[in-house]
Amino acid sequence: MNKTLAVIRREYVERVRTKAFLISTLLLPVFMLAMAVLPALLMSSGDHTTRVAVVDASGSGLGQPVVAALKVATIGHGRAVRPRYDVTLFQATAANLAQVRDGLIAKAGFAKGNEQHGWDGVLVLDADTLASGKLHYYGDNVSSPEGMNRLQRDISKALAGVRLAHAGVDQSLVAKAMAPADMDTAKVTDGKLTGESGEASFALAYAMGFILYIAIISYGSRTLTSVIEEKNSRIMEVLTSSLTPFQMLMGKVLGVGLAGLTQMAIWVGTAFALGGQGPHLAGAFGMGAEAAGKFAIPSVPPMLLVVFLLYFTLGFLIYGSLYAAIGAMCNTIQEAQQYAVFVTMSILVGFMSMFGLINDPSGALGTTMSFIPLFAPFTMPVRWSMTAVPPLQLALSLSLMMLGLLTCVWLAGRIYRTGILMYGKKPTWGELWRWIRA
Amino acid sequence: MSTPSVSVESVTKRFAGHTAVCDLSLQVPSGGIYGLLGPNGAGKSTTIRLIMSILQPDEGRIALFGDSRNSRDLSARIGYLPEERGLYKKMRVHDHLVFLGEVKGIARAEAKRRAQAWLERLEIAGWAQKKVEDLSKGMQQKVQFAGALLHEPELVILDEPFSGLDPINAQVMKDIVVEIAAGGRTVLFSTHAMEQAERMCDRVAIVARGKLVANGTVAQVKADFGGRHVALGFAGDRHQADAILADPRLVARLDDYGASAELKMAEGTDPGQLLAALVAAGVGLRRFEVVEPSLHAIFVAKVGADPDAEPLPAVAGAAA
Repeated sequence: MNKTLAVIRREYVERVRTKAFLISTLLLPVFMLAMAVLPALLMSSGDHTTRVAVVDASGSGLGQPVVAALKVATIGHGRAVRPRYDVTLFQATAANLAQVRDGLIAKAGFAKGNEQHGWDGVLVLDADTLASGKLHYYGDNVSSPEGMNRLQRDISKALAGVRLAHAGVDQSLVAKAMAPADMDTAKVTDGKLTGESGEASFALAYAMGFILYIAIISYGSRTLTSVIEEKNSRIMEVLTSSLTPFQMLMGKVLGVGLAGLTQMAIWVGTAFALGGQGPHLAGAFGMGAEAAGKFAIPSVPPMLLVVFLLYFTLGFLIYGSLYAAIGAMCNTIQEAQQYAVFVTMSILVGFMSMFGLINDPSGALGTTMSFIPLFAPFTMPVRWSMTAVPPLQLALSLSLMMLGLLTCVWLAGRIYRTGILMYGKKPTWGELWRWIRA
Repeated sequence: MSTPSVSVESVTKRFAGHTAVCDLSLQVPSGGIYGLLGPNGAGKSTTIRLIMSILQPDEGRIALFGDSRNSRDLSARIGYLPEERGLYKKMRVHDHLVFLGEVKGIARAEAKRRAQAWLERLEIAGWAQKKVEDLSKGMQQKVQFAGALLHEPELVILDEPFSGLDPINAQVMKDIVVEIAAGGRTVLFSTHAMEQAERMCDRVAIVARGKLVANGTVAQVKADFGGRHVALGFAGDRHQADAILADPRLVARLDDYGASAELKMAEGTDPGQLLAALVAAGVGLRRFEVVEPSLHAIFVAKVGADPDAEPLPAVAGAAA
């Protein structure tokens, strides 16, 4: 046991002490933050009030209701609420439409500099608009899908209202009929409301799956390179005369795993610390309160955390020992990668299956996958967060995971025992089988 | 006689296409220095790896301290310096020694103390906090040497411990090996340097092509070889001596070095006859001495090849 501890300590200290560890610890959050903040920053251009010039050449007074509909649209919540559009109506006729339009378009794209006569966009309603629904928008923000969708929705609503009014429907009835649906989702566990929204708990499980995926890809696979380094530096011969393959394997996988956990703890700790400061930070980046809300860290239900940590640990150990066994089989990283593809593939399958589970978390596929030790670390936490998983299923899945782990470690230990001293040629599948049976 | 430290009984190990060790038996008694001698590729390293349970014999059995368990189960009592030197290159020297001690079961605090003591003794204490890769090859070898001895094993197995060392460092290592043996512990080491083995070893085993050629105390091996041996040193021109040295009635075998030679007298002849013949022929002699045969001469006679010359037919794969 003390020997295993010595191996764990060595693997841990030697990894944490490197410059690479320091750099990746510092840089990854910077990249992650950039990835999260940049699109939001870019998108948030849709968060300011858009100055729109509406040119009404419909001849049927379509401009008024459209302007009215646009004026009620708002952005933000609570105190920060602002109108979404700053609309000005220009009347035109079919004859001077082109002239009025082009005059306005000439000033489009200057609104950002807060110029009095600048427009973000020019909306043109012509005689056909009411009947065909066709209209034109000229603006500098046309490539923002979110902004355009919203504008289109708002106009559609106005057109529908006008059409209904033309058909003789009472205005108050129209307003009632057009009231939008607003759905809130809530998760039920064991017949009780949990108070969590379904969306939030899936997001949480997805984030956890993502953490596991990153952890295995970036750390689990390091056991592979580490074994190959040991083979190449020929220290293996000294180690193997003092340590059992199980001690070497366990020490390595746990040491590497702990180093990974340390890094994650630093990240998560920082995220929580910053999370409390979310709105301030968002403000500093020039984002609105709504955008800041996206960065709030949802509270984690304790049971989900327990389930996740169990599966995370078991999953990491299984994959870590598989990677180490591959390292023991090969002499160069290049060679090892040919075999590692199989392991990486099953990680990917597990990871991707999380998305498939959104539709039917308790279906045959989800249930089956949570009994396969290689996939369960991904599927089970997601299922747990989305539906009520029967305790019996959880117990069975966990038992299978334990069994799978023992099998993997035993198998890897067998390959390790023989493979670590094989220099030169790559083993054939037949030889591999003999190592395992030997 | 007490239980031998190492007992190898009729062990055979085959690799794809050739036999590296063939029906080899040897006993390393407890205490003293035991030399495993042989040319490159003779099967010395394979024998040591078999003893260390790194390889498994195809036939025969091996026991350490009379215990036939895997050497790993006895690893606290054994120190091992492999032929292929290897250390974690990125680790600090002191940490590395502590780690090597810990995997032998030494408590961390004690391992730290001993690591420091060894570094001082080997005069590399100034490098303790440097990375292994910053050290010269010779210094790395010293570190690994210390790593093999840190847990004060009662049996020390060293595979070619002096190869690649400069004379000063080789001297330091030699002193340590002699000191271990003086403390009543056992050292088994392999080498192809016969002169060194002859000076250091109590007992030797000579192997060639995987087979045991000679075995026993150095005196025994020499006595078994038998015959009377003469060492010659020539002064100046020696070509008059050629005919006499080639005469099979006088000389049974000749080990010719040019300016000197070592020879075995033919059965029933006297060294005096040889001296008379040489003097009569007018050969200028610097030295004429009746000697014990050197291990080197025995080796050449038994193996039929100079141990320092070209290695025997190359061995493939892991058998090196």
